[in-house]
Amino acid sequence: MSRISELIRIGPISGFRLRTKLLLLALTTLALPWAGCQYAREMETVLRESEQQSLLAVTTTIAGSLKGRQQLLFRTDPLLAMNNDNARDITPVVLSGAPLVDGRADEWDTDSRNLIRIAGPGGDSLQLLAATHERWLYLALLVRDGKVIYDASALSALDSASIGDRIWLAFDDKRGDQQQLFFGGTGSGKLLGRRIETREYGREEAVAEPRIDAVWQRSSDGYVLEIGIPLSLLGQHIGVLIDDRDRRGATRSSYGTLEVSDLRATGRLIAASPDLNDHLRQFAQPGVELTVASSTGAILTRIDAPALPADYTRMRGFLPRMYRLFLDGDVIPRGVSQAERQRAAAGLTARVARGKPETALFAGRYENSVIVAAAAPIYSADGKHIFGVIQLAQTADRWLTLRDRALTRLLNLTVFVTLFAVAAAFWFAGRMTLRISRLGAASETALGREGNLSRVLPEADARDELGDLSRSFSSLLGRLDEYTGYLRTLAGKLAHEIRTPLTIIRSSLENLESEGNSENAKVYIARAREGSERLGAILTAMGAATRVEEAIAHSDRQRFDLAALVRAAAGAYGSAFPARHFSAQVPDEAVEMTGAPDLIVQLLDKLVDNAVDFSADGATISIVLSAEPAHAELSVANPGPPLPPETANRLFESLWQSRADGDKRPHFGLGLYIVRLIAEFHGGSARAENQPGNTGAVFTARLTR
Amino acid sequence: MKKTIAIVEDERAIRDNYAAAFSREGYAVRGYPNRREAMAAFAARLPDLAVIDISLEDEPEGGFELCRELRSLSPELPIIFLTARDSELDAVSGLRLGADDFLTKDLSLAHLIARVNALFRRVDALRRPAEEKQVIRRGALTLDSERMSVEWNGQVVLLSLTEFWIVYALTKNPGHVKNRQQLMDAANVVLDDNTITSHIKRIRRKFQVVDEKFDAVHTVYGMGYRWVE
Repeated sequence: MSRISELIRIGPISGFRLRTKLLLLALTTLALPWAGCQYAREMETVLRESEQQSLLAVTTTIAGSLKGRQQLLFRTDPLLAMNNDNARDITPVVLSGAPLVDGRADEWDTDSRNLIRIAGPGGDSLQLLAATHERWLYLALLVRDGKVIYDASALSALDSASIGDRIWLAFDDKRGDQQQLFFGGTGSGKLLGRRIETREYGREEAVAEPRIDAVWQRSSDGYVLEIGIPLSLLGQHIGVLIDDRDRRGATRSSYGTLEVSDLRATGRLIAASPDLNDHLRQFAQPGVELTVASSTGAILTRIDAPALPADYTRMRGFLPRMYRLFLDGDVIPRGVSQAERQRAAAGLTARVARGKPETALFAGRYENSVIVAAAAPIYSADGKHIFGVIQLAQTADRWLTLRDRALTRLLNLTVFVTLFAVAAAFWFAGRMTLRISRLGAASETALGREGNLSRVLPEADARDELGDLSRSFSSLLGRLDEYTGYLRTLAGKLAHEIRTPLTIIRSSLENLESEGNSENAKVYIARAREGSERLGAILTAMGAATRVEEAIAHSDRQRFDLAALVRAAAGAYGSAFPARHFSAQVPDEAVEMTGAPDLIVQLLDKLVDNAVDFSADGATISIVLSAEPAHAELSVANPGPPLPPETANRLFESLWQSRADGDKRPHFGLGLYIVRLIAEFHGGSARAENQPGNTGAVFTARLTR
Repeated sequence: MKKTIAIVEDERAIRDNYAAAFSREGYAVRGYPNRREAMAAFAARLPDLAVIDISLEDEPEGGFELCRELRSLSPELPIIFLTARDSELDAVSGLRLGADDFLTKDLSLAHLIARVNALFRRVDALRRPAEEKQVIRRGALTLDSERMSVEWNGQVVLLSLTEFWIVYALTKNPGHVKNRQQLMDAANVVLDDNTITSHIKRIRRKFQVVDEKFDAVHTVYGMGYRWVE
């Protein structure tokens, strides 16, 4: 019986409890957010690529419309030899607003490209800034001059004695003729450039050029001349020259970008035709920045900086931030300064100038904003040369915002679903574990104290597999109960059945004895009687368990002193088994307990019988009673062979026999079974152990007081 | 005139063997295999003593039924249950139905005959006036060894033959411990420990029916029992 409960207890070996397993299973729902992220990334990539592709398509279209129209880019038909760089070239920046021509250049963007520094004599120097806006070219000349000399009078411009510091501006006009203007300041304020015309008889005259605005202004270390020139006046080349004098009419010392000998402009003006903007404006869309650069990377014009879309709402809050951190990774550059962004844009231009349209992503000017750029080369009419690059850029915030929204919603949902799934799994696992352990506990305790089985298990009404399990357990237990019942009563039934024929034999023999028999016959009759007596003894032994069970069933419990009982009984064993010595170790004080004293005596008898059976003549059998508040333990130890380890638990089963050979007395191992029954009747248990050193066995009955 | 013993036993060989033994002792024996035949015969003429098996052919409890019917015919007729069953419950039921003794078939024929003789002696003794010399008095106890009757405080305690012999053995030498073997010998039975224990228990209970405070039979653990006055 105990083997069945062992079988029930031992399940498949596993490191995890069911609850942990189901919890781990529930955690697999965390794959949902992962999949969601993958999807969101995928979506983002698709969006970005389609954005890039459409932007590239637009770029390529615009580039196509500009094919062979270098006059739009460079104001002249002939293709510039862009490749031989000239230090005197002027590359104006494209300003988004017109600067005030007021002699102050502080509102201008400065850029290394549009700044030309020329050192003059005696620590003097010129900084030349250039910019375009719409149809105007703006020049700012920041002159450092230790000794500023004004012209004596604007009226006597050509009187060599009254000439002070002068600034020359020279450029090609549309026909390719050189125009040379000079500016001679007579004080801060507006100033007109004048050209020297030669009239009849070689008379020279200074003629003012009204189309060019200029303002002369004194600065802390010299003076500033700011000039605004309509681009329509200009051809290919332009330059400036400073004629510095220490006093009026003194010998000049010249420096600048013009040839000092003939004032010819050799530095080129790299700026687009004003018509280019008109042309590009037809392609302009809000939020799209359009930049045209020369093939060397000089920016010719720019329309519309990328604007923030109106629906730009970055997700705030802890979770969306976490998601973004988790998602973006290193796909998108971020936190980049304006200069770096420009460098990246220039890099893109330089790459595209080699012939292949391309798209790129730049970090935008706001936190986490991204700019998508596409660039395409502009070809000459014959398609052989690339003379410019057009670049379109727009913020990617639209699809980033879209992605962020979708993702936040998705991740919130998955977090919720995961929490729900984990909670559900936990609940389910807990319930399942509870049900299973309840079933397990019930099946373990199904074997009652008297060896009868309780067939009612929990979960029997459940419709699921646990219900099936419970029901099959119940029917198994039922069958087991029938079988054990059969086994338990088998000996008794057998004894009963055999008793009748045995009675026939015995009574016949007794009758036979009373007849006159020969001596020989008497011997045989005696043998037959001896045999039948033995058979009778066997039958009595076989029925003993049943009688003990009955005796237990009819036993009354009473309070009695176990110590006195054991002391008295132990004293009696000496005379019952004269071949053994008995030592009793019993507490001096009374050990009161509730139970059936007759049964306890019987229990002790059986233990002593057993000890006598397994010990040799002259051996000392020790009987020990020890008392605890709730329990008492009665043990009988005998020297002798140790118990085979595998039988220790089976010794107390019915009909188990482990006895030395050569013993003729009937024995069915019922003695220890009876010990167990009586111990269990007293709310206790029986166990067998080997003495230390395997010198014998100790049988102990534990009784509830 | 020969005394008549009726044996109601469905196992023919046993019936005949018992019949032979009783005949040898000088009794007239009549055997019946079942309740029906037995009752038919008893209705015509009662035997002097009946030995009844409990299970009779198709009636597992036929002996009990027969005992009840027989007792209603004659309150004095000695009845002995003789059975292969040895369960406590059967013994209690049999004795409650008024049987004089309840024996298992382990009992030897000699012991059985001794009992039968004793029961006949008691029937005879009951017909005669009581003889004082056969009576043992021990405090509240009065024990007539001839009539096999016991009184406690003047009230009759109805004991079976086996129980009477046990009480008799205990009271012959009050204070002396009688072990189980001695009690079995005295009662002419072969019983195991549990059966002796339940006999003792039943004896105490029967005395307690007439006196709740009865406590004369003491258990001496490991040794046996003794009568304490």
